[in-house]
Amino acid sequence: MNMALVRRFVPFLAKAIRIQQTTQAQKIHRWVAPTLMELKRREDKQGGKKFYPRNTFLEWNLEAELYAFGQRLNEEFDSDLLLQAFTDRSYVIKEEMKQKEMDFDIKMKDNKELVEIGESFIGAYIQNYLETVLPKFPMDGVKCIKNHLTSEAVLANISLHLGTKDIILAAEYPVDNFILANTFKAIVGALLDSSGEDRAAHFVRDFVITQLQGQDINEYWPIEDPWAMLTGLLKKDGATVEPRLIGEAGKNTLLACYRVGLYVDKKIISTGFGESIAVAKEMAAREALKKIFGTEDHMKPINFQLDGIPKPSSQSRYQIPAS
Amino acid sequence: MSAKNMFLKPGFVRAPLQNGVGRYVCQLQRIVFKFCKSSGGSRGMRDYIEQDLVDFAKVNPGVVVYLKPRRHRSPVVVAEYLNGDRLWMSCHNKTHEEITKWIEVCRTQQGNNEDIRLRKYQYTDYPSVQGPWTPFTFKDPELNNTVLPNTKFGVNNRLPISATEQLRLMFEKQKLYEGDEIKTAE
Repeated sequence: MNMALVRRFVPFLAKAIRIQQTTQAQKIHRWVAPTLMELKRREDKQGGKKFYPRNTFLEWNLEAELYAFGQRLNEEFDSDLLLQAFTDRSYVIKEEMKQKEMDFDIKMKDNKELVEIGESFIGAYIQNYLETVLPKFPMDGVKCIKNHLTSEAVLANISLHLGTKDIILAAEYPVDNFILANTFKAIVGALLDSSGEDRAAHFVRDFVITQLQGQDINEYWPIEDPWAMLTGLLKKDGATVEPRLIGEAGKNTLLACYRVGLYVDKKIISTGFGESIAVAKEMAAREALKKIFGTEDHMKPINFQLDGIPKPSSQSRYQIPAS
Repeated sequence: MSAKNMFLKPGFVRAPLQNGVGRYVCQLQRIVFKFCKSSGGSRGMRDYIEQDLVDFAKVNPGVVVYLKPRRHRSPVVVAEYLNGDRLWMSCHNKTHEEITKWIEVCRTQQGNNEDIRLRKYQYTDYPSVQGPWTPFTFKDPELNNTVLPNTKFGVNNRLPISATEQLRLMFEKQKLYEGDEIKTAE
């Protein structure tokens, strides 16, 4: 009934606004605000704005949607497994309650196991992949990037953009980030079971690891004290680093700029600038660390084309002391 | 930019979910054709459905196609995209060819681009590989081993030539020509 009212008022509203274009001042009729307020009040009385999930529409075919989901991503899923991957625990509980009331019993499987399989696979694969494409980056940093990529927000965003939002079977709509992320993990689990490890690995590579494209990977690993880390690393190689002030501009002004160069054996390894000498020194240390880790601003883009599951050679990596 | 565009949502040219870096995913996820089986406004839509729709569905298995016949209402295409956008398009009195072209537009775009005002025609997450500018960025390397003050670097050559200097040069030039004339006259 509310909608009918709104529809009736829309032409009036349009007319009211069209009249305004000829006059100077913006005038909205005195009845508009009270009417809209009244409509809002009635809507709230009914229990707020109603959200109609896409799968309650007349034009909805779950089987076709599931088929198209696989085709869209160029993957072949086992149809039962895929349906299971889209079934959230909350939906199963709700269905069981319904069935109890109606006195019959059809067993349904939720995606809990698939989520676990998928989660462990995603974690292990991303770890291997990052170790391979960032051979000089310390393990702590790799772990931080991995944590970012497997975080709920990132996986939920990926899941949403693969079109799971409408297909997921859940008790409540719209589904939250937790269910979206879980569904993505379950899909990887289902793919692992239906097409094997390589296909699943390429799936994770194409949709999760590519999220690093265009990002500065140093930002995922906050380094508290870059100077201490740099001196610690160089001490292992028997080198000492010497900071020198190599430029200053606008001293004692608001726009002061200092430039510090770091030298090892009288050879410059990096420079940094900042509003004070301490900041400039820290920035120089950060630059030097980026050079050591192979993650400079002008680094080669990360390779998103590695085939199969890469095996990281457990080479000598920079082990960063916890301090 | 006209005043009308001010009310559009601003945005950048972006591929959703780094589409194409890994693999390409068609962003159109489902399309609903609503039409009437008898009225003339749906003629083009009915032709499209009879002649082209099956081929469309075959070529694009990732797009779910729904047909929704309804009596005495004008034809409509509703396209839904992976990013959640929904594009409603009236096809009243559109011909078969027009509908074919519009469906192609729906299939190839990445979302409902109707209500977006592009702020720029390009975008990057990574504006510079050189880092920000500092007063030392384009410093002349020769300055590194120069003893200051130095006449080469200290010379004031930034001002345009003065009027006195200009007159002096003109005078010198004139003298030169006069000398020539005297020489040729002899």
